[in-house]
Amino acid sequence: MNIFPIILNLDFPNDPDKIYEYTKDILSNLLEHIDLDLGYQRRIKLIVVELLTNSIKHSSEATTAIQLVIDQPHLSIHKIEKGLKIAFSSSSPQIPFENIKNVLNISFSESNKHNIQPLGAYKFKFLKPPPEDDLDITQMPEHFGLYIITLAADSFVYQYDPELGENTYTVRLNF
Amino acid sequence: MNVKKQNIEDLVLLTIVDRDANLTKSENFKEIVFKEIESGTRKLIISFENVEYLDSSFLGALVAILKNLVPKNGRLTLIELNNDIRNLFELTRLDKIFDLKNSLDKAIEGFK
Repeated sequence: MNIFPIILNLDFPNDPDKIYEYTKDILSNLLEHIDLDLGYQRRIKLIVVELLTNSIKHSSEATTAIQLVIDQPHLSIHKIEKGLKIAFSSSSPQIPFENIKNVLNISFSESNKHNIQPLGAYKFKFLKPPPEDDLDITQMPEHFGLYIITLAADSFVYQYDPELGENTYTVRLNF
Repeated sequence: MNVKKQNIEDLVLLTIVDRDANLTKSENFKEIVFKEIESGTRKLIISFENVEYLDSSFLGALVAILKNLVPKNGRLTLIELNNDIRNLFELTRLDKIFDLKNSLDKAIEGFK
């Protein structure tokens, strides 16, 4: 019988051609402790692929640390990486946020925009975009990484620790 | 990126040979397909029969390809996507934008 929470700490080399193998490793680790239907397995695979891909794109570290916290009825996936805080385009509100009451529209580029809810000066939650009735290919973004995580997760939160110089991405799934 | 090209009457079928459709291959794949479009191809089928997973970078490349093709009155059909990849299209609602078919026969039928 499992005693919750179960915490698994894993470290993965930032090798783009091994991402899917690592993703399957993470899923295997999880399945040793909890039953997951195919829908959850697919969501977890999408999330992990994009978390690891994000590190390869933006981190200078050789490895990415992933922590899985299995609790009932939640799974949290934490990605922790050293480095500078997440950088938005110059036209966006910047971290540390001065006003944490309102939803903010931020962008990383012209085709990579997000709505976020600040949760603190250095912490925010990605908000799911409202469904659009008329999808137009000419208006479609070409950057989907954080968008995919936002859609696949029940909650996706970013936090920066300025003292430690540490970025933490926390994805939560509710079972 | 390894891509196999086959002409079927006025259609071009591009089959991705690699197992991973990821960020190391997305730019190269986009260039290959853009060249194909520049050479006059307007009816294009891309087969994912060998592809195990597709990441956001590759998804972005596919959107760029469709954006390039549509103003030229071209058409693109994606075939033989596994359940994980199809799930990604559904999650992002790109299944409403892209023409997804199960098989080559269905894709050819769709172009007639």
